[in-house]
Amino acid sequence: MTQLNVVGKSVVRPDAYDKVTGGKHYPVNYSLPGMLHGKLLRSPYPHAKIVAIDTSEAEKLPGVKAVITHADVPQNVFTPVYFVPAHAKSMVQDFVVMSDRVRWAGQPVAAVAATSADVAEAALQLIDVEYEELQPVFDPEEAMKEGAPQLHDNAPNNIAKAPSFSFGDLEAGFAEADHIFEGVYQTQRVHTCYMEPRVCVVDSETDGRITVHSSMQHGFGLREKMAVALGIPESKVNVVKPTYIGGGFGGKLDVGHIEPVAALLSLETGRPVRIEHTRGEDFIATTRNPIKVYLKTGVKNDGAYTARYIKSILDAGAHATHGAEVIMVHGLYGTFFPWKCPNQTWEGFSVYTNNIIGGGYRGYGAPQGCFAVESQNDEICEKLGLDPIEFRSGNTHKEGDPHPVLQGHTLNSYRLDDCLKKGAERIGFDRRAPANSSEGAKKRGIGFACHPLWVSGCLGFPDIYEHSGATVKLNRDGTADVVSSCIDLGSGQITMLTQVVAEELGLASEAVRVVYADTDTAPFDAPTHASRATYSAGLATKAAAVETRNRLFKAASAVMEANPGDLYLEDGKVLVKGAPDSGVPITEITARAESAFVQMTEEGPRLTTIEEKGTIIGSASQAPPSNPSPVAAQFVEVEVDTDTGEVKVLHVVHAADAGRVFHPKAAEGQVEGGFQQGMGYALMEHLQFDQDTGACLSSDFLDYKIPTSMEMPPKIESIFVESNEPTGPYGAKSMSELCLIIPAAAIANAVYNAIGVRVTELPITPERVLRALGKL
Amino acid sequence: MKQIIQLDVNDEVHEIAVQPYDSLLRALRETLGLNASKRGCDSGGCGCCTVLLDGKAVYSCMTMAMQVKDRKVTTVEGLGKVAGLDPIQQAFIDADAVQCGYCTCGIMMAAKQLLAENPNPDEDAIRKGISGNLCRCTGYQKIIEAIQLASER
Ligand code: FES
Ligand code: FES
Repeated sequence: MTQLNVVGKSVVRPDAYDKVTGGKHYPVNYSLPGMLHGKLLRSPYPHAKIVAIDTSEAEKLPGVKAVITHADVPQNVFTPVYFVPAHAKSMVQDFVVMSDRVRWAGQPVAAVAATSADVAEAALQLIDVEYEELQPVFDPEEAMKEGAPQLHDNAPNNIAKAPSFSFGDLEAGFAEADHIFEGVYQTQRVHTCYMEPRVCVVDSETDGRITVHSSMQHGFGLREKMAVALGIPESKVNVVKPTYIGGGFGGKLDVGHIEPVAALLSLETGRPVRIEHTRGEDFIATTRNPIKVYLKTGVKNDGAYTARYIKSILDAGAHATHGAEVIMVHGLYGTFFPWKCPNQTWEGFSVYTNNIIGGGYRGYGAPQGCFAVESQNDEICEKLGLDPIEFRSGNTHKEGDPHPVLQGHTLNSYRLDDCLKKGAERIGFDRRAPANSSEGAKKRGIGFACHPLWVSGCLGFPDIYEHSGATVKLNRDGTADVVSSCIDLGSGQITMLTQVVAEELGLASEAVRVVYADTDTAPFDAPTHASRATYSAGLATKAAAVETRNRLFKAASAVMEANPGDLYLEDGKVLVKGAPDSGVPITEITARAESAFVQMTEEGPRLTTIEEKGTIIGSASQAPPSNPSPVAAQFVEVEVDTDTGEVKVLHVVHAADAGRVFHPKAAEGQVEGGFQQGMGYALMEHLQFDQDTGACLSSDFLDYKIPTSMEMPPKIESIFVESNEPTGPYGAKSMSELCLIIPAAAIANAVYNAIGVRVTELPITPERVLRALGKL
Repeated sequence: MKQIIQLDVNDEVHEIAVQPYDSLLRALRETLGLNASKRGCDSGGCGCCTVLLDGKAVYSCMTMAMQVKDRKVTTVEGLGKVAGLDPIQQAFIDADAVQCGYCTCGIMMAAKQLLAENPNPDEDAIRKGISGNLCRCTGYQKIIEAIQLASER
């Protein structure tokens, strides 16, 4: 690997100063003079037709400036997911911003803009809606049956999408097996729990243009969806990139209701309109889709797979939105291709129900798959007495193998075996006792899981945007500005972009600033999602910085009378190769580039050259060359109290191959934060709904518990098995989502090792543990 | 009906009009434009809104503005500025404890109370001290390191 000065170091995050002194740039702080406040009226019924809406009383309330219902909203049908075109063939178009048909409890049916949030809230109470209730269906398997209530006309049996893949000969594979394992693994609905709510301020101009400030994860996707929702050209929508947002984790990856509704209210009133979700509204905005996985696997005595059949039923909720893609990613990268099995069939069903809409969430279908497959792998090893690490190693890919999904691509960097080995050593896997062998009521267990195939972006996925762009400009004071549409969700995208530019321009990272961007002026970037920012936006920004450097060398060659090819950068200076004393400060080159042709000096006029003139700037917009797979294995030690059913995580070791690590501390932060979400998923989080009314029972963190500092294990250790991904920026590939894909499976396997019975439904609550132990 | 109250925030006394049902968080953010205290839930569940009230950490969303009229409120705006950061702010930066940062201001205020009462807290005491504050990004490990770091300095 080449010697690097900035990349690979835990530099201070540039945004940290602002955040510890108050964090003034969060979208939630944004306001405009004359701004109105919007609120949404939501349906109490999960399935109904709106017969009539009377808004006259609400309109009379002093302070109310506009009230809209479905009758005021364009009935344009589209996919609200940011990362695909609104009418992508691979997705399902079934979403309108407001409709006279209600499909989930909480669906917005009207909206108010008023001079204060209190007035808007009061006005909602004055809107009279007459509903005709329809029979709801909440269970996806019930919804697939003949005679079930139908949610969408063009989806018989409520099947929004039913993809499948197959290769080999399944029957022959099972016939060849020495053992066949069958299981059903159920995961639940959870929320990403970003801390900053979804919020927007939308303003409109007299020519119909709108400007959007929002807490979302993708500016360009928001622009496109707003245009489609409102039926106006994209160029009429400008989305301002937030400086940073208070978390996203995939939960801010689709246009919901607030932005288009705020736009309509603003167009009607001519004033800016702000809408902020309450926490209760955030809980019903988007969620991780529950998936039930039926898994049947054939193996030889030595543990080699012979056949696998997988059926996955995903609860899409009222609209397909992400559910049409989550099911695909779950199938391809969550269950099917990670493992090497010669005969496989996967069938997926994304099914409409009257539950709330699913959505993006870090890992996107893979935690559900990893939990199923890795739970069953553990069962296989246990039953056949196989070494669980050799078993994983034997049934997965190797460095240099062809990429199992992307034709023509290779697994250039792939160190799963090292992750397994190092993780096992660190936790002391050889001290693991047989299942249920510790004495007393509190039983210890060690378990692990891995995920053998994941992504660094979406190259190769049908219809999903993947290109990135950036502009890099050198200033006369020797600093550089970067314009990029890559949004920092908290995982460090600003830092990563500054590191790339500093590295290429020989600057200190503090000399680089990520500056204002909006969709009018900045190049396109796909969203911050799919673990893609470092790989994809990193590569594009690197290319832009290289352009800038070339331009600098061109100017410098005129100043220094040297060949551009003979120049290099060091410590803020341009030097000629082989002449270490030749250095001219970058600031001098940029100052001359930005100044007049004739300069007055103490000694009289000085002529400079035409060649050195012009802003030192470079830009790039490009798709990445590949989609390398990161891999990781996670080892967990738990203690299960067999009297109370409580599971406590004691120790975690996460070993990952993320290629070259850009920022070791930030990378550890991803592992630690990912584990918190994964542990919540495994043990406690479950968004629950009233069985009759479909109403969400969680409106705040008192009803929806996520791990606090008290529940978190004392130690989460990160091991980075550094490899060199040749297609990545400086050898890097992705890492973040794997940190949440694996924990539920690892914890479930550790719980099994502790108590000797397996819980196959998440979350593994005390009640489920006691039930598994036969104590309830 | 709105009432005029005097609110002492960061040693500056403001005269503001509030509704009897306005929370301190609302008064800080919407009336005084002090945005460091964040709204994460508005119901006492996340701690993003934590401020000090006479040195004690409270959820400002669960505290009525009227209730605190004779008391001292401290928010992150009352800690250091970039030119002279409070040790807790510097420690959060140095430990890389700030990811999205939305929880940061609230957690730093909880840590201020903790360190004032117990200048050398062990890990357990730190975990307890911030147990009323949620963070969804960091898993708390680097936040705990930051508080340890601040206590050592
Ligand atoms: S906003 Fe006050 S505790 Fe969440
Ligand atoms: S840093 Fe994002 S919630 Fe704590």
